[in-house]
Amino acid sequence: MTVDVLIDWLANLVDFPELAFILAVLICAIPAFLFIAVYALVAIYGELKISSFMQDKVGPMGQGPGLHAGKWGLLQPVADALKLLLKEDIIPASADTKLFILAPFIVFIGAFISFAALPFNQNLIIADMNIGVFYILAVSSLGVIGLIVAGWSSNNKWSLYGAMRSSAQIVSYEIPAALSIVVVIMLTGTLSMQGIIQHQDGLVWGILPNWIIFQNPFTFLAFFVFFISGVSECNRTPFDIPEAESELVAGTFTEYSGMRYAFFFLSEYANMFIVSGVAAVGFLGGWHSPIPGFLEAPGWGLFWFLFKVGMLIFVMMWFRWTFPRLRVDQLMNICWKVLLPMALLNIFGVGIWTVLAGR
Amino acid sequence: MSKYFHDLWSAIFSSMVGMGITLKHMFLIRKGNVTLQYPEEKWPRPERKIGYDLKDYNVIRSRLHHNIDDCTGCNKCARACPVGCIKVETMKVPKGTDLGTTSNDTIKRLLVTRFDIDMTECMYCNLCTYPCPEECIFMTGGPNSSKHPLDYEYSEYDRRNLVFNFAKVTQEEIDKYTIPPPEEQQKDEVESS
Repeated sequence: MTVDVLIDWLANLVDFPELAFILAVLICAIPAFLFIAVYALVAIYGELKISSFMQDKVGPMGQGPGLHAGKWGLLQPVADALKLLLKEDIIPASADTKLFILAPFIVFIGAFISFAALPFNQNLIIADMNIGVFYILAVSSLGVIGLIVAGWSSNNKWSLYGAMRSSAQIVSYEIPAALSIVVVIMLTGTLSMQGIIQHQDGLVWGILPNWIIFQNPFTFLAFFVFFISGVSECNRTPFDIPEAESELVAGTFTEYSGMRYAFFFLSEYANMFIVSGVAAVGFLGGWHSPIPGFLEAPGWGLFWFLFKVGMLIFVMMWFRWTFPRLRVDQLMNICWKVLLPMALLNIFGVGIWTVLAGR
Repeated sequence: MSKYFHDLWSAIFSSMVGMGITLKHMFLIRKGNVTLQYPEEKWPRPERKIGYDLKDYNVIRSRLHHNIDDCTGCNKCARACPVGCIKVETMKVPKGTDLGTTSNDTIKRLLVTRFDIDMTECMYCNLCTYPCPEECIFMTGGPNSSKHPLDYEYSEYDRRNLVFNFAKVTQEEIDKYTIPPPEEQQKDEVESS
């Protein structure tokens, strides 16, 4: 399902091409938004449980609805969401009101419109653009503007520190991430997300699936460079200096409460999904099953894609509860002195490998 | 240059070790779990060694308990209570009614219609237990652990559940034993009201 098909189909029904366009976009956007909301609830529950288990605790537990939070605390994310919905919406008196209100939407839009190019299975993609990867890389970094706006308009020193740090961090880590994606583009010769996945069909080395991560040692390295940069772009621990709780109260989000804070929260989880999704598409074969030719139907394609994304999100949570936060200079050190040389090395290595091995 | 790669290797290696530790803890959560789901689960009670014989002095005052079968309704405990957390109501029964005897072979003469202990008010002073002629009100634990199973941390979700009602009298019994008031007295009451 692409949005173009919908637009054509609706344009045949009604005589207004503009109306058809708006309808088609809405039909695509509402399920995407619902998906993000539901996925965020699941991810929050997973994060609560995983973090507790890693610290030898049991996390939210309860005996039934009404007492605590349902069986095994299953209603905890619902209770959290309700709490955020019902909380008072505070706008500080000294804040720049217009920008303060605008900032969460900029951040969320940056995360939300990236979903347009994510292929969930063989057919389920909102828009299979011929510049899909480029689109996602460009659009997902829009969120930085929102973070800076949020930090500036809050009129709070912690918020401004957080905004400055996050912009420096995200802009820096865009570079290794993009250079790692260049490796994928070199091998597949296309920028379309579906094209990249279709390239990863079959077997490599006789036994492994023909995913880009297994194609040669340099792509293997490139996956980790991309994933670490991606974790950093999501502002996840250990790279969470923009909202470092122990240093900056809550960084950029210090002055936000209620629904506005919930939007930042939602966009953080949406960003995690996008980074994991691009990693799954670019390096782990997207909707291809681990055994080529086994369970490759569109339904299973959706399962495999969500499974891969879910595993990568689990690894992100695993990172969070294992590593302590990096200092600002250490963060920049890793980006510019380790990940960037490695990404450049990968590009050269893959180029030479392709010339010598012929694939 | 060699230091750079050595640092890189040690960083990756130590990260892997750390991630292994957290993953191990995650999968062995059933074994390593330290959280106690408190109202549903309780730690086993430790043995107490307080240096002298518990029979001499009841230091363990877990909960005030009342044995209604032995109660004669003398109201001595309620009068002894400094905070007034014991509420006793009794009722006279017609002559010749057999209410049974206590375990000390005292004949019960009053019907105890209400015996409430409000444990939110009780201050565990143990003063009510001394005047009791039948030794039927006591603190659980210590030397009394043979009389009543140990009951501590009696936490409740609702505060009202901490008012313990010990009286077992039903409404039918009250109606059965009620002495009908003389008719003259009834008339006086009507006039006065």
